[in-house]
Amino acid sequence: MSQQPINIQRLSQPVQMPDEIATFSPKVEAEIDRHLAKYPVMRSAILPLMFIVQRERGYLDPPGVSYLAKRLNLRITDIWEVATFYSMLHLKPIGKYHIQVCKTLSCKLLGSDKITQLCVKKLGIKVGEMTADGRFSLSEVECLGSCGTAPMFQINFDYHENLTAEKVDQILESLA
Amino acid sequence: MSTELVKVTINAKDFQVPKGARLIDVCRENQFDIPSFCYYADLALQASCRMCLVRIEKMPKLQTSCTIICTDGMVVTTQSEEIEKARRSMLEFLLANHPLDCPVCDRGGECELQELTFDWGNLEERFIEQKNARAEKYLSPMVANDPQRCILCKRCTRVCDEWMGEDAIEAGNRGANTVIGTYGGWLNCSQCGNCIEVCPTGTLLDGTYRHQARPWELTQTISTCTYCSDGCQMSLGSRGDELMRIVARDRYVNGLNGEFLCIKGRFGHPFVNHEERIRTPLIRYQKGGRLVPATWDEAIRFTAQKLDGIVAARGNNSLAVVGSPRLTNEALYCLRKFAAEVVETENYAVADAFSLKPFFESLGGPLATHQDIRHAKTIVLIGGEPEELQPLTAKQIRQAVRNGGAKLILINSVPIRLREQAAQFIHIRPGTENAAALALAGNADDALAARKMGVEAAELEILRQTISETQGDVVLMFGGELSAEAQAVVAQMPYTFAGEGRRILLHPLALFNNSVGALDLDVNGKSVSDLLDAAGVSIHAMYMAGSLLPEHMPKCGLSKLDFLVVQELFETETTAFADVVFPAASFAEIDGTFTNNDGFVQRVRKSIEPVHQSKPDWLIVSELAKELGVDFGFERSASAVFREIAERIPAYADLRYPLLKDESHPLQVKHAIASKRELAKEIAGIRRAVAELSDDGVKVSETPQVGHELFKLGTLTDKVPQFHLLAAGNPTPASFAISPLYQITIDEGIKREKAVA
Amino acid sequence: MFIGAIGCEPLQLRRVHLENSRWLDVYRRNGGYEAIKKVLDTMSPDDVINEMKKSALRGRGGAGFPTGMKWSFVPKDSPKAKYVVCNADESEPGTFKDRYLMERDPHMLIEGILIAAYALGAKTNYIYTRGEYKYLIDIMDVALDEARAAGLLGNKILGSDFSCEIYTHTGAGAYICGEETALLSSLEGMRGHPRMKPPFPAISGLYASPTVVNNVETLTAVPDIIKMGGEAYQKLGTEKSGGTKLWAVSGHVNQPGVYELPMGYDDMEKFIMEDCGGIANGKQLKAVIPGGSSVYIMRADQIIGKDVRMDYEGLVAGGSMVGSGGFIVMDETVDIFESTKNLTEFYKHESCGWCTPCREGTDWLVKIFKRIENGGGRPEDAQLLLDICDNIEGKSFCPLGDAAAWPIQSAVKRFPEDFEKHLVNNSRGESKHKGELL
Ligand SMILES: Cc1cc2nc3c(=O)[nH]c(=O)nc-3n(C[C@H](O)[C@H](O)[C@H](O)COP(=O)(O)O)c2cc1C
Ligand code: SF4
Ligand code: FES
Repeated sequence: MSQQPINIQRLSQPVQMPDEIATFSPKVEAEIDRHLAKYPVMRSAILPLMFIVQRERGYLDPPGVSYLAKRLNLRITDIWEVATFYSMLHLKPIGKYHIQVCKTLSCKLLGSDKITQLCVKKLGIKVGEMTADGRFSLSEVECLGSCGTAPMFQINFDYHENLTAEKVDQILESLA
Repeated sequence: MSTELVKVTINAKDFQVPKGARLIDVCRENQFDIPSFCYYADLALQASCRMCLVRIEKMPKLQTSCTIICTDGMVVTTQSEEIEKARRSMLEFLLANHPLDCPVCDRGGECELQELTFDWGNLEERFIEQKNARAEKYLSPMVANDPQRCILCKRCTRVCDEWMGEDAIEAGNRGANTVIGTYGGWLNCSQCGNCIEVCPTGTLLDGTYRHQARPWELTQTISTCTYCSDGCQMSLGSRGDELMRIVARDRYVNGLNGEFLCIKGRFGHPFVNHEERIRTPLIRYQKGGRLVPATWDEAIRFTAQKLDGIVAARGNNSLAVVGSPRLTNEALYCLRKFAAEVVETENYAVADAFSLKPFFESLGGPLATHQDIRHAKTIVLIGGEPEELQPLTAKQIRQAVRNGGAKLILINSVPIRLREQAAQFIHIRPGTENAAALALAGNADDALAARKMGVEAAELEILRQTISETQGDVVLMFGGELSAEAQAVVAQMPYTFAGEGRRILLHPLALFNNSVGALDLDVNGKSVSDLLDAAGVSIHAMYMAGSLLPEHMPKCGLSKLDFLVVQELFETETTAFADVVFPAASFAEIDGTFTNNDGFVQRVRKSIEPVHQSKPDWLIVSELAKELGVDFGFERSASAVFREIAERIPAYADLRYPLLKDESHPLQVKHAIASKRELAKEIAGIRRAVAELSDDGVKVSETPQVGHELFKLGTLTDKVPQFHLLAAGNPTPASFAISPLYQITIDEGIKREKAVA
Repeated sequence: MFIGAIGCEPLQLRRVHLENSRWLDVYRRNGGYEAIKKVLDTMSPDDVINEMKKSALRGRGGAGFPTGMKWSFVPKDSPKAKYVVCNADESEPGTFKDRYLMERDPHMLIEGILIAAYALGAKTNYIYTRGEYKYLIDIMDVALDEARAAGLLGNKILGSDFSCEIYTHTGAGAYICGEETALLSSLEGMRGHPRMKPPFPAISGLYASPTVVNNVETLTAVPDIIKMGGEAYQKLGTEKSGGTKLWAVSGHVNQPGVYELPMGYDDMEKFIMEDCGGIANGKQLKAVIPGGSSVYIMRADQIIGKDVRMDYEGLVAGGSMVGSGGFIVMDETVDIFESTKNLTEFYKHESCGWCTPCREGTDWLVKIFKRIENGGGRPEDAQLLLDICDNIEGKSFCPLGDAAAWPIQSAVKRFPEDFEKHLVNNSRGESKHKGELL
């Protein structure tokens, strides 16, 4: 017979090969434990933990995702569905400095377009791209609650408000 | 639902409906058309498609009828200009990004979106902008995906989670970018394909049948699955002589499984038209020689002569007849009749891995149907692994717990996946399942049972207490691990736990599609292993229908036979010993019946003509009987065989094919209920056996991978190339755009001509 | 940027200008944690709820639901755990008031949550803050630690029998998670999809337990209500909506900022022209979106000389809504077509994707706006926009769909001239009709 059953032994192996699983320092593990302790249901800690993994590993890379699934006792799809819903979580590499220019109405009224253009020129990338050296990513984002101090951008978690051309120059200069 | 009635007014007509009824159901039952996509009975409510909008008096906005529970005095309008506009606009939204190329879509012709568009679509398309394009791809060897057609009703994700407990497919991204998919893009699950089944559009498609046929070319034949004892109803789609696909889609069938099928039922059919099917009768004229094709006449005559000779020389009992729990009742009945009335041997057996005979002999109450399981209040499962062996039962258990609030008590040596649903998981040492029967029988042996099982005695107390406190149905299930004595004890539980407001129902997890039927027809059957042991000693010839032998039994006994006849679809390890091989017709080519775990007798219907020269098993036996001088008189009609079964077998009394024609109301055989009896002997036997078990067996702590049983390659699934991929761990292909069959070569076995091209 | 009160004594903003206002001792020296003491010493949970009812405080998150009434829906006899969840998601375009309350006076929020938790019998409480406000979460965590160390949080608070905990929780970038049921889904670690109501959170919210979700500004009003009494608080505002309200002013004004006004502040024109320093660069006022992006846009002539009263009823009479109090001012240079497109893009980006009309509708609307912007406008597009909005409004699963529809509906109707520019005589010369759009 040409179609002999293939080696049945292989079936005892897992259908999905386990990915490499990220590991963290005891300090980070302790931080994770502190978050887990806040909730009666482990899954609730998914967002705080994702931020930690993202901070430690740059983005939610496959070992990081496997770690989350294992740590929270969830399926890998659970991690995926949540991570892709929220705009601050990244399953793809992101620049060391993520420049997020607010483009919503109040900022727009006060010239957010120009801020974006400045960044585009300065960094030599388009919106949504990352510089070749992986230092900067540029995004346009929706309202960041800084409308009274428009225009503004956020670099990683830092707010930079009441932006002017000079200020943008200065800030980017200081990070370059 | 209570029996209390409330009054609702729909379109100015009054109706009395049960309190708690859902408005969308009530409207539909009363012939008011309500379109819907996301509503799916017995799945979590979604209320996202917004197709089912109706107007309810005193409510400010239009309401989704799928979420509304009828209350007394509710006044509902389902038809008005406003509602019509709302529905048309939802369809307009859904079609905005949907390709309007039904003719190239596999779902075209049986697509719910297409159907509703006929009713609620606008003639004019106002959307003139560019559609959001998304590429077609494969999610697994079985599941093809055309994401652009998705309307995000999320039936697929709910089915994956609620029915299968797998959560393998989910919604990702947000807003208009939302897609159904999975991390990494490759689906590692049990590949049941239920997501395909419930998809109302052409988004999730059968990857094995892709672009093979159009639905309207197919002849739909309702039949019963040939794989496991759940007995799912399915629709075989055939074109000419070819079986193209299998679906459960409830527009064709509405059986006990609804739209549920498992991977084997849905995708395990390509063996039917497989090129390796045995084409003609084969004769091995001398031991050690080759099997040579022969005509039917020749093969029958040759066999008859040989059998005559052996019986004459060595006596009737030197011949054994072995049936398979895979065969139809008709085939098994003819075999038995052949053994008893033609060759008159006492050696008749059914080759089942575990026999439920002791269970049925002591059966103290009714069998639980799958419907009963869904609505049970307490479910006790001893051993077994229904997710892999009886997938529909597993789904019913899961839904009973998740949607019905039932309590599941799991007694297993392995933390099987159903553990996630278990209220109590009694994690025992391997091989100590029989001790559970002791615990069910009473607390006298708790200390012993607990010690051997490696659990706290208190857990056993909780088990009994949960059962005896249940108001409603308790379903007791068990797998193949229980000994004969333990089976008898469990079978008597309806007496042990009898109580006000409680039914104790039993559900044995038999292994094969007709294990129960085979037992029903087997009057004083023997065990196959005894017969095999006697091969070459007292048994010198064997007649086997189906060559399936339980895995653990040595096949070498067969070589000691003077003469072996086998009826089969394929050449197997057993046919290697055969002197005559008859080509048998598969389930798709015959009429007949199977009896499932519920005791339901369900029809198997002929979808295509028997391939090549094959014939139904029962007919082969009948023809041989005729050659040997006994005319069964069935005149080539399976129905006539069944009529005789009904006349001769009390449990099947009064059943007839015409009565079995409605698969949505299956009929249960009337198994004799044994009276309450003393179990001291059995209990003592179990106690003795349990006492001999070791005290330090190691428990299995890993939950087995999804599919570890389902993906095993058997004689039939071996013929499905996709199963080879799954058995090899479902490797992620380099490209999702092309079927992995054409990309991945596991070994010689899977490499097909087509695949290389 | 201005932060302060106009037309009343600062109440919520009383401490924001104090040095080190975010520290516990400053808060305590300035009347802090007196209310919780009063509650623990002298009031029953029902007393607290009664005061809240008397205060006529309406929720400041956007929906304006009476807070006392919301609290009274929580079943007292439920054996389940109860939760107070503070909604600090603040993602409505134009809204940035909660941010300064938390940045400058975090203990006021903690005290408010404590009182709510006492009234409702909640032992565990969460502050759900949008992920971008990471620095605020850090500030809140420090303040919570301070409070814990001072016996104001944790076991036997201030020596009473009352124990409770407050934790911060982070969102991760999703406007929809401001909607209370989506917030709860998110807090449970799910995608931020809204849930079906009923059951309302007060009956079955977080972990299917009774839950009250309140905005930051709502909860920070609680200590003052307790201290001054519900009636006195109500008197600061109007009969139907008590107290003061924060307005977050942005756009083309000389002095943007967070303004605390008494409810029922008498004139919107005066507010813009005088209190906010008038329109920047000497331009004319063209339009105002007074309550965050999700409300009707107002034309200048609906404001100038119209004595629009700034409270719930007054703004409805004036043709809009209070919403979240995000007050966006636009001068004559603004093309309302473009500003509406900008907001529509926001809603498209933030639609959770659950329900058909919002998911597909906002996507389609944005495509139409882009087509028009690129010169493909047709006069019938005005009607088309309105019709799509009509098909979304009232038919979506949650109010985000309505929120997306209202700005467009009002803009097309109130600023037809701005749309006409784009729709008639478009650059591709495809227009069939001339003139009347609507
Ligand atoms: C789409 C949407 C977004 C919302 N965003 C917020 C928000 O960012 N902050 C907030 O406090 N309330 C928001 N709300 C209102 C909440 O649903 C809820 O009404 C509020 O948190 C209740 O608190 P309150 O009674 O104190 O106003 C939003 C509502 C909707 C429909
Ligand atoms: S309206 Fe619908 S799609 Fe939009 S946010 Fe609400 S539920 Fe999600
Ligand atoms: S069926 Fe009711 S909203 Fe989809």
